[in-house]
Parts: sequence; C-alpha cells; structure tokens
Amino acid sequence: MTAAKVHIVDDDEAIRDALSWLLQSRDVQAETWESAEDFLAAWTPLMAGCLLLDIRMEGMTGLELFDRLRERGCRLPVIFLTGHGDVPIAVSALKKGARDFVEKPFNDNDLVDRVIEALAFDAEQRAREAGQASVTARLATLTQRERQVMDLVVGGKLNKVIADDLGISMRTVEVHRAHVFEKMGVKTAVELARLLASV
Amino acid sequence: MGSFVFSALFANGAVAAIVEIRIFLDKGPMIRPATLLSRRGTAMPIVAMVLVVVLLGVFLWLLDRSEREEEEHALIRDALWVEQSLRFQLASDVDRLEQLADTIGRSGGTDVTAAMRHLVTTNPAVERVLWLDAEGRIAASVPPVPDGRTVAEGAEPGARGDALRLAGSLGKRIYTAPYQLPQAGMGFDVVVPVYRGRGYAGALVGVFSIDDILTHHVPWWIAERYQIAVADSNGAVLGAKSRIAEPKPRRSHAIPFDPPGKGMTLVATVHRTESNLGRTVLVAAIFGLTGSALWSLWMVRRHIRRRLRAEQQLRTEHAFRKAMEDSLTVGMRARDLQGRIIYVNPAFCRMVGWSEPELLDRGPPMPYWPPEDLERCQAVFSTVLAGQAPPDGFELRLMRRNGERFDALIYEAPLIDANGRHTGWMGSFVDITERKRAEELARQQQERLQHTARVITMGEMASTLAHELNQPLSAIASYSAGCLNKLRADTVAPAELIPPLDKLSKQAMRAGRIIRRIHEFVRKRDPKVAPCDVAEVVEDSVSLIRADARKHGVRIEVDLAPGTPPVLADRILVQQVLLNLMRNGMEAMAQTPREARLLRVTTRVQNGAVLTRIRDRGCGVAPEVAETLFSPFFTTKKEGMGMGLNICRSIIESHHGRLWFEPAKGGGTAFLFSLPVVSP
Repeated sequence: MTAAKVHIVDDDEAIRDALSWLLQSRDVQAETWESAEDFLAAWTPLMAGCLLLDIRMEGMTGLELFDRLRERGCRLPVIFLTGHGDVPIAVSALKKGARDFVEKPFNDNDLVDRVIEALAFDAEQRAREAGQASVTARLATLTQRERQVMDLVVGGKLNKVIADDLGISMRTVEVHRAHVFEKMGVKTAVELARLLASV
Repeated sequence: MGSFVFSALFANGAVAAIVEIRIFLDKGPMIRPATLLSRRGTAMPIVAMVLVVVLLGVFLWLLDRSEREEEEHALIRDALWVEQSLRFQLASDVDRLEQLADTIGRSGGTDVTAAMRHLVTTNPAVERVLWLDAEGRIAASVPPVPDGRTVAEGAEPGARGDALRLAGSLGKRIYTAPYQLPQAGMGFDVVVPVYRGRGYAGALVGVFSIDDILTHHVPWWIAERYQIAVADSNGAVLGAKSRIAEPKPRRSHAIPFDPPGKGMTLVATVHRTESNLGRTVLVAAIFGLTGSALWSLWMVRRHIRRRLRAEQQLRTEHAFRKAMEDSLTVGMRARDLQGRIIYVNPAFCRMVGWSEPELLDRGPPMPYWPPEDLERCQAVFSTVLAGQAPPDGFELRLMRRNGERFDALIYEAPLIDANGRHTGWMGSFVDITERKRAEELARQQQERLQHTARVITMGEMASTLAHELNQPLSAIASYSAGCLNKLRADTVAPAELIPPLDKLSKQAMRAGRIIRRIHEFVRKRDPKVAPCDVAEVVEDSVSLIRADARKHGVRIEVDLAPGTPPVLADRILVQQVLLNLMRNGMEAMAQTPREARLLRVTTRVQNGAVLTRIRDRGCGVAPEVAETLFSPFFTTKKEGMGMGLNICRSIIESHHGRLWFEPAKGGGTAFLFSLPVVSP
C-alpha cells in the first residue's frame, strides 16, 4: 500500500501548483497529474488518499475519469473542483458517489479541511475493509451448528428458544454460543450483531 | 411687251397681297395660329393666282378678238378692192369690145380681124372674140373656130342665142350665164350688139375665161393672203386664183360679182394667217411665268408647311425637354470656359436656394461655396476647368442660401456645341446629404449589430469565461492561503514564500489579461482599421475560447504560418469573426466522439492575402443549407439568432476580403476567410 496523499488532477498548471503549495502548507502530501489520462494510466487499487478532480479538462473530463475509476473498483474519495456553471454536473457526480465538490474560487482552508476529512475517511474505510476481512476469516472457522446458533443469537432469540428450535439441550446451546463468541472475538450478542452488520 | 409688263405687275400685286395676308395673320389674334395660317395662307395666293390667269386669258381673248376684227376689216376691204379692180378691168375690156363693135358698125367689117386679134392678144382675160352677123353666123373669129359651128358653140344651146336676141332687141351689152369653156374652166360671154346705121348688123361676142380674169387681174399680194374665187349662186366655184383645197372653212367674204351678175359672187377666203411668232412667244412666256410663279408658290407653301412642321416639332421637343428639365431632381449647371455660370435648371436653384437670374453670369467664388471650404472649392473648380474632373464624379460640401450645408455628388462633363466646339462644362449635382445620413445610419446600425453580436457571443461564453477567470483566481487564493498558513504556523523562512508569491502575481496578471480581452472584445467602440497581425488575433481569440473548448471537450490546434505580413483590419472585428467561426465549429462537433473533436486553425499567405482556415470534424454542411448559410436569421441552433455568419461575412467584406466554406477532407467543414495584405 502506497502512502496516502492527495492526487490533484487538473490541466491548469497554476491550479496544480497552487493547490499543492496550499496543501503542503497544512502538511498534506499532494501529487499532481496533468490530465485524466495520466492519472488513469498510473492508478492502482493500492493508491490511498483522495482525489481532487477538475471537472473541465481538455481530452478526458473529470467526470469521465470518475466513471472509469468507479468501473475499475477504485473507491478513493473524490472531491470535484467545479466552475460556477457546473453545479448540476457536480450534483449528478455526487449521486454517483462522489464525496464532495468545491466551487471555484474556493475557500482554501475549507478545501484543505475537506481534503483532510476525505483522507481520514479513506483511512477509516481502508481500516474497516481490513477489519471486515478478519470477520470473514473468523466466520469461516465456525462449524455449521455454531453458525446456526450464531444466526439465531443475532436474531435475538433466547437460549431456551434456540434449544427448542434446534432440538438440542440448553447446555449444548450455551457451549456453542461460548464458542461463537470466542471465535468471533466478541463479548456480547450486541457486539456480535454490530460486527456482522459491518460486513 | 405691254401684256408682259401687265402680267408681271399683276403677279407682283398677288405676291404683295400674300405678304399682306401674312402680315395680317401675324398681327392677328393668336388663336390656333398654325391652322389659321395654313388655311388662309394657302387659299389666298391660289385665288390670286387663278384671278391672274383668268384676267390674262380674258386679256388675250380680247387681243385676239380685236386682231380678228382687224383681219375681218382687211378681208372686206381687200375683197372690195379686188371686186372693184376686176369690175374695172372687165368694164375696160367691154368698153374696147363696144368700141370695136362701133368700129365694125361704121366701117362695115373691113379689117375687123386685126382689131379683134389685137383685142385678144392684149387682153389675156378675153378668150375669144366672135363677130356674128345678124343671123347669128360667125362672120369672124379670133382665134378662128376650126369648123363652121355657129352660135351654139360652147355655151348651152340657146344661151348665147338668147343673149344675142336680147342684145339685138335691147341694143345694149348682155352678159351670159357662166358656162363650161371648151378649153377648160368656166367662162361667160359678153354680147355687144353691132348697129350699122340704124339697123342691127349682128353682135360682137367676147368670151371671158373666169380663171384667166382671176389669174391676170388679181395681184400677187392679194393672192398671197386670200384665195379669190368666183362662185355661182349655188356656191359652186367657177374659177379661182389658186385651187388649194382648204382643210377647213376659213373666214371668207363674198361680194356679188356684177357685172357679169347672174348670181355670181366673188369670194375672198383667208388662206394664210400671218403667223405672229413674237406674240406666241410672249403668250408662252406669260404662261410659262405664271406656271413657274404657281410652282414657286407651291414650293414656298410646301417649304412653309415643312417649316411649320419643323417649328411645331421643335416647340414640342422644347416643351418636352423643358418639362423633363423641370421635373429633374438632379441639379444642372453649365459654365463657360472661364467658369461663369451660363445655365442652371430649377432643381439646381432649389438645391442652392438662389434664383436663376442671381446665379447667371456669376464667376468664382460662387455664392453657394461655404466660406470655410473656399480653398477646397476653388481647387476643385480649377481642376474641373483644367478638364481633370474625375469621370465617376466627386463629392463636395456646398451651402444653401439659408446657410445650411449639404453634400453634393457632382459629375462634370465637357459642353460641346452643335459645331463640335468645346464651349464649357456641364455639371450635374445630386444632393446626397440624405443618402449619406442614411449610409451613416446603416453603418451605425451595422456597428450596433456587430457589437450586439459580440455581447451575445460573450454572454454565451460567460460561464466558460468565468471558469477561465476562476482558474487564476483559484490559484491566487490557494497561493495566498498557503502563505498565510505557513506564516501562522510560524515555521517558514521568508525566502520560502518568494516563489509562491511570485507565481501568485503572475496569476493575477493572467486574470487581468483575461478581463482586458473580454473588455476589449465587448466594449462599444468605433471601428479602428490599422495594420495588424492575423497570427496575434488568432492567438488572442483562441485564448478567449479555450475555456469554451474545454467545456465542449474540443481540442484546438493552431498552426500559424511564420512571418505573416500585416493586414489592414480592425482586430476586434476579425477576432469576432474568428470566435464566431470557432464556436460554430465546436458546436458542429457535438455529435462527434470526444476523442475526435479537433478544431484546427491555420493561417497561410496566398495571392497577396492572408488566408485563415478553421476546420472542424463536425457533421458538415448539408447541401440544402449551404445556400442560405450566410443569410440573416438563418440558424441551425436552438438559441441562435442567425446573425453570426451574416455578420462575419459583412465584416470580412468590409475589409475587402472574402469569407466562404468548403467541405474538409476526412469529414467536417472548413470555413475560410482571406484578408488582403497591406500593400507596401
């Protein structure tokens, strides 16, 4: 995984330079890209951070790049830089899952704040994704009976009801339940339910 | 000769009468003068001429009649004279016969023959002399009778015998009736009784030939003029001096021829009139003169009629020209070679406000020359008089009488008279003040339209231009915010801030440039034609439109020929054309795949002009649209006004250039315009 940074894609050299200077002044690392095509060619799923994307560019536009990246499964948060008249385009981009848009000329530290938020979001997302990967692995260690018991526990059933449903003794249910809690690394049924809901 | 003078006088009188009629008519009331003149003017001389001819005829008839009367008198006189002369001759012959008879009576018949012969030979009219005895036998005959015939010889039987008896009984001479003589011709006898003592002793008969009487006793000068004949009571000619048969009866005079009597008449017939050559010539001359006078009168009349016709035509023509001249709105003014006004038409007077009499014969400086432009007017005046006026006219500011100035378009042409002599200059003046005002108005309208179109263009590009302006503004804001952040954190060395601040000021300048360009483009201004570089204009235009191109996802390629010579143009107007064409090109590529959207602007120098070509990769121009592409209010766009291309063309044409389009190779359309290079 590469270090998280802000990727600025704008065909205007001045904007690129000014933004990277601004971000640098707040100790945010930035990398600049001259065109959408350049960025698309360089993109890997391992890229972390966020994307500052100009909507209007010669050649491939920001919106197109956004669509391509989504197609390829890129989940980098995207903040669009828009001109005055481009708000409808930006709104449609938001609907497609863009994180934010900033209208030019922007309130600069506000932009930086949003960038930092996006970076944090990305980091969290990446962490969550990492967590999810462990839950899935833990689920795989459960036996079939333990899985059945877990589903019923998450469904909010009492041990006695579970015993009746499965045609086993209360004592057996408690053992399975203890195993599930242990394997899944949770202490309460509520914790378990939250963990499963995150997957 | 007298008659000639008379006729000449008469003719003169007639002419004088005609002249008088003419004078009378000229002084008379001018009611339809032409017809009046032609009716009386032609009738009166003809009546006069007819009178002359009639009077001449009467005169000649009277002359002829008096001549005839005179001739008649001469005839009667001559006839009487001839008759008298013949009677005298006959009487003298008969006297000799009586003397002879008396001699015979006294001498008893001796030596009678000699006397008889003497009588016959000396008297040619006497054919024969007979002496008959009392019994009527021939006693002697000269010339002798061949046989012994008696009294009855020659005359009809008994005629002489009767005469003998009568003579014997009466005792005086007796004439017989005419009878046919044996030799030829007619003759008659004169019987003279012979008495011896108291007793009748026979008779002496003289046989007279009528022809011989006439032949010998009518003198030549009578015979020359008259035919003298003797006729009997029945009119049968018994003898004549000359026997020329007259073709038609002439005037003649008959007098009784007595003796011999017996109904005989002496007829004098005019057989040759004196041919009066002088008079014939005179008459011929008179008639000839009359004829020629009539002819010349007719010629004069014809001439007058032709003249009248010509005058009428001239009057009509003159009236026509006058009406034409008065109806003209073009002022006409003619000047002589010295520049003095010799003619002005009403339109010219109306134009300048001075009347014709005030203008005529005026020389420079003319009253209608405005005082502030006197030198220029004087210069133009001299140019025209030198014959160097421009053939397609020139403009001059002139002054009306009320001081108002007006612009006149003047054409000067040499004035050539009927003999081909150059006598001056004719100038026509057209008041073009209104036209100029209208032109100025149209020009202003065109400018307004162009300006409006520019503003509309800018309005359409406003969002993209705002974006374009946002770029440097955003950069500026970012640089400054960055600097502030650093300063607040207090972790920065001042030198570190120099590059971003430097870049910031550059971006500020960039923003300023954009604003200036927009302002220049939209600002309302007078056209300013100056040498300008098309390449620069192209670059400016491209930089204005680049934001728009980005919005449309269109790439712009610019290919400028190095060192294009300057063209004489208003750069903003050319920029307007470029922007319009580029925007059209971009809009035409709306359906083109994004990667292929390329607008290519090239400049080339070609045939003394800078050729600019804007090529798109769009849908092209449909053939049915091609014709109306440049017409006003034609548009294929939803929000278009349809003025863009129309204005572009009028702008380029006002720069003496040309704007057209052609299909581009590989699809799309190329719009081209040429602007002439400034001639060195």
